[in-house]
Amino acid sequence: MSEKINRQETRRGMPLLLSIILVFIMFGTVVFSVSRRISGEMSASAVQNLRESLDLIESTIEAILRSQVEFQTLIAREIAGAEDPEAYIRAYEGNRTMSGLALIRAGETEGVSNTGAVFSEEGLNFSAGGTVMGLPVSRSYLNDMGTWAYTIKCPVELDGRTVGTLYAEYIYTALDRSLPDGFYNRQATLYIMDGKSRRFVLQPKGMGQRSAGHLNLEDFYRANDMKDPEILSQADACLENGQNYLFYHDVRSVQSLSYMWSVNDGTLYLVGYVPVHAIQQEGRSVTWSILTVVISMLAAFFLCILLYYLNWRQQDQLRREQEEERSLHSRQLTEALRAAQIASESKTTFLSNMSHDIRTPMNAVLGFAALLAKDAENPAKVREYTRKIMASGQHLLSLINDILDVSKIESGKVALSLEAFTFSGMISSVEAMIQPMAKARGQTFRLEVTGIRHECLMGDETRINQVLINLLSNAVKYTPEGGCIWFRIIGLPQRSSQYEHIRIEVEDNGYGMTPEYLETIFDAFTRAENSTTSKVQGTGLGMAITKSLVELMGGTIAVQSEVGRGSLFQVDLELRIGEEQDSRRFWERQGVSCLLAAGGDPESRENIRALMEPTGVVPETAGSPEEAAAWLRSGGDCQLALADWETCGLQGVRTLRKALPPGVPLLLLAEFDAGDTEEALALNRTALLTKPFFVSALQERAAELWAEPGGAEEAGNLRGLHFLAAEDNEINAEILSELMELEGVSCEIVENGLLAVECFRQSGPGTYDAILLDVQMPVMNGHEAARAIRALERPDAGRIPIIAMTANAFTEDERAALDAGMDAHAAKPLDMELLKKLIHQLIKRKEASDP
Amino acid sequence: MKKSTGKRRAALALAALLCLTACGGDVPGGMIIEDREEKREVNLFSPMEKTDPDADNVARTASDLTVAMAEKALGITMVYRTYTAENHRDKTYDDVVLDRARSNLDDLYLLNPDTLLVLGSEGRLADLSGLESARNLRQIVRTANTVDGKLVAIPQEVAAYGLFVNMDLFRQYGLTLPETPEEFLECCRVFQEYGIETPVGANRWWLETFVFAQAYAGLYNGGNIEAEIAALNSGEAKYSSYMRPGFEFLQTLIDRGYIDREKALVSEAIEAERPDFLAGKTPIVMAYWGAANADSAYGKTDFEMRVIGFPSSLGQMPVVSMTGFAVGAGAEHREDALRALDIMTSDEALRLYSETNRVISPSRNIQVDCVPALRPLNDRIEAGVYVLGSNAGMNVEQWGNTCQIVRELLAGASVDACMAAFDRLQEEALAR
Repeated sequence: MSEKINRQETRRGMPLLLSIILVFIMFGTVVFSVSRRISGEMSASAVQNLRESLDLIESTIEAILRSQVEFQTLIAREIAGAEDPEAYIRAYEGNRTMSGLALIRAGETEGVSNTGAVFSEEGLNFSAGGTVMGLPVSRSYLNDMGTWAYTIKCPVELDGRTVGTLYAEYIYTALDRSLPDGFYNRQATLYIMDGKSRRFVLQPKGMGQRSAGHLNLEDFYRANDMKDPEILSQADACLENGQNYLFYHDVRSVQSLSYMWSVNDGTLYLVGYVPVHAIQQEGRSVTWSILTVVISMLAAFFLCILLYYLNWRQQDQLRREQEEERSLHSRQLTEALRAAQIASESKTTFLSNMSHDIRTPMNAVLGFAALLAKDAENPAKVREYTRKIMASGQHLLSLINDILDVSKIESGKVALSLEAFTFSGMISSVEAMIQPMAKARGQTFRLEVTGIRHECLMGDETRINQVLINLLSNAVKYTPEGGCIWFRIIGLPQRSSQYEHIRIEVEDNGYGMTPEYLETIFDAFTRAENSTTSKVQGTGLGMAITKSLVELMGGTIAVQSEVGRGSLFQVDLELRIGEEQDSRRFWERQGVSCLLAAGGDPESRENIRALMEPTGVVPETAGSPEEAAAWLRSGGDCQLALADWETCGLQGVRTLRKALPPGVPLLLLAEFDAGDTEEALALNRTALLTKPFFVSALQERAAELWAEPGGAEEAGNLRGLHFLAAEDNEINAEILSELMELEGVSCEIVENGLLAVECFRQSGPGTYDAILLDVQMPVMNGHEAARAIRALERPDAGRIPIIAMTANAFTEDERAALDAGMDAHAAKPLDMELLKKLIHQLIKRKEASDP
Repeated sequence: MKKSTGKRRAALALAALLCLTACGGDVPGGMIIEDREEKREVNLFSPMEKTDPDADNVARTASDLTVAMAEKALGITMVYRTYTAENHRDKTYDDVVLDRARSNLDDLYLLNPDTLLVLGSEGRLADLSGLESARNLRQIVRTANTVDGKLVAIPQEVAAYGLFVNMDLFRQYGLTLPETPEEFLECCRVFQEYGIETPVGANRWWLETFVFAQAYAGLYNGGNIEAEIAALNSGEAKYSSYMRPGFEFLQTLIDRGYIDREKALVSEAIEAERPDFLAGKTPIVMAYWGAANADSAYGKTDFEMRVIGFPSSLGQMPVVSMTGFAVGAGAEHREDALRALDIMTSDEALRLYSETNRVISPSRNIQVDCVPALRPLNDRIEAGVYVLGSNAGMNVEQWGNTCQIVRELLAGASVDACMAAFDRLQEEALAR
């Protein structure tokens, strides 16, 4: 769209550009032609101007020559009439125009000069044939005054008869006074040259004219670098014929108009040059004026174009911005519409799915409940129906949890609860959940842990578990029976010393996913639907929740998948390293300085060695139980022993146990699903430690062994305890009552918090072992009740365990309960096993704190 | 936005208005009255050399600077009149300057020592003793330019002549610089032996310097100058007896082909011998001091050049001559010419001249460093060892006459005939 508009604009701009170029070309052509014409005219005018100047000088010189001849003719007449012509001659005193006068009588070769000396024509050359008004003129010569001169001879006639010849000598300096002073503002050079001898007889005067070149024409050519043979031959021809010749030539890099101008039919020549700029001085001024006008016009034109362009650009920018804004709005609207449509479709599909998914287990619950009523007397059927009702209820619960999770995440209300946790705990809980599922489907579940440097990390263990369980349960779900699932935890290079950088990989060789589905796998309300997976139940929210949680924790999730070959999910997380328990002190307190590890492959033994190193406990490893036993017999001393169950076997364990001192605990390092361990575990001070090996798990297990030499006490036994409970819902109250009764617990149930507070206040100390409070109740809710109880002034008010029972199962609900003074939080529907364990822990803690 | 556009338009309109205003001008009108200034001119007649295009003669440029000083100070225009002989058949500059001075055609003249003496003797030159600049002159300069008790010319430089030698060639042939005429002849012999047919480049003007060096080495260096000159002027001593050794020496050079007689007879100064000297074909030429300076005839050589004195019995001998400015006694613009000369020869002008040309100044107040090539010649002059090529105190003009008689020798006259010519001149002088 935008490109189309741009193309249209370009198409619109082209004619404008062409018009401007056309105007420029026309303007340029006009200016050029006008300039050329003016230049041509000025050049012609310059030549004409020079011609006129030279004509004027020529006329002047010729006029002088004529006046000299006229004057000489006058004298000749006078002499013809004189009584003593020689005396007349001698009486003449030479001056700076006519420097000498002489007379030779007819028929004689010698005569008299005005100086009185004998005069003859010898030394004078009239052969050139030059004349002025018909009188012969001699070639130029250097006279006795040391200056260039010429002589004109004039016949002296008496009564029509020639009685003699009058010779008058004229010096060229006389011409100088009549020549223009400062020819072309003193920029022109002017010589007067004798036409025949080609010597310069009158030269420029004044400073600046002293450069060489004024001896003769050849000297002039040489000094002014005139070498062009064509010019020289033409000049020569013109000189021979007494013609004028003008030519352009650069004199000392200045373009000049050189001239040879004939005077008196070539008897004399005006020779010189004028710089062209000197002739065209006015012309140059005109050219400059034209140029200035043209430049001004061009500048004005460009200024107009510039202003127009700036204005246009501003408008264009505004228009573009508006268009972009409109386009953006349009795009946003389209996207919003599409998103709304997709959301609507997704939610429609989701609702449809939910309707189906919720109705299915609900149908089972109701159906089996009806069957239960009908077959109440048949215990076997009752157990069967209740088991199925339980299963359907569990499924319903998970559906509801997922929906609520998505709702929370989407509304941005999820808060992470950062607490210290250990890898061993996290892995064991996840494995405990997934391993049975995989086993049930005949799948191989493999757990690999590599490169982990710190076991204790800070994070929301529950959420991480949720992510792992989501990924792993999906893997189990979408992998056919007999398939393989890999769960890897890989330590990546740390980017900060305070954070452990881990990668969690969940890989399966199951159905895999299509590329199209991969694009939407992390979107909410989507689920892969095909013939293979249609039997798999789920909300389709799991992956959306997973991705949201990973991103909430600052991590990334990526997936690779291929239909029919399986999928690989990679979750990268950076978790703050937690404060490690002071492991070294624990082992020191227990007096453990050496750990004997037998069996297993060399890598696992190396792993054990590496992990034990910071604890200060020396790990002694043996490839087999026999080797370990031999080491013990040879005097080896250890305080704790490990035996790899898969490689040692029962016999090996027995051998090792036998070799070990009786008080030294032996732990069997076994896979989660290791079987046939009962006999081995029955041996003295022998217990099970699930793989993979973690120091924290070892420490925990060892602590249990040392603390309870006889074995672990049954945790969840509540028999004989007496509870106070507040529950406003009658059905829930009844269920609670029944459940407690089943556990051998007596429970007094009241309808609201206020009653619970009253009951507790009126009871004697130790009457109740614990208080269970629903949160949302009329009159007084659970939080207020807990605060009231804790506020009572009786010794056990602050110590009695108070447990919240609520359908509000989110983290903030739990935090609110703890803030209200409660000790723990149990989500509805109640998981009795969890509740039992919780109550047991709290009672133990209370007992410990009782004075 | 609109406001901004409005401002731009207003600015544009203002610019256009300013342009229009600037383009307008006063329209000329009314009557134009032209003042004709009375020009004061001084005619200066001087020789002109033929030079290459675009290559301005440095000496002339320096002289022009001093002329410009005078023009500026006095508000005059110096009008140059020049003459150069086209060839040897033409009248020489000296011939022409005599004619012109006698006809009072010019005001200021640049005169060679011979014409100076002639014109001075004829009383055609003004006495310059009263000029301010005359007080600064070295005694030798004053002596050389005094005729009949009148200071008739003032030079702008003391022209010292010497031999310009190609040191590379001297070294190449294992030669040392000659001190005496005999050593000089030996050097020429060696050069000729090695294929340099004409070891000395000569012209028709300056061979006389060899003669002066040998003739007057004793007179000016240890002799009783006044007594000896008095003897010559009275006829008790013969000029020819002083001149003979030099002429015989020149005859030997001619006879042995160390100089090309025919070529020298028709060659102008520097013009003929310069190309071969610069090309390293001729090891020895003679020239004046200024020719060794940068941008002059021999200022830039591809070899090491030195300027030494002429061979004499007293060793290398510089020959000093002076070309001075004189003012015509009957000149049309005599007073302006005298004032102009006073400025042109003032210490300020001579310092400018000497520093520009790096020459010996006639003013005793001015000392200028010389170029390295000139040091041998300069050292001799500084030590007071030199001969004068002209001396206005002698009744026979030396510079011009000797030059003329040397030309006769070149033309084939014998040494005896040349000596006879000197004797004639002396007799004429005595007769005057």
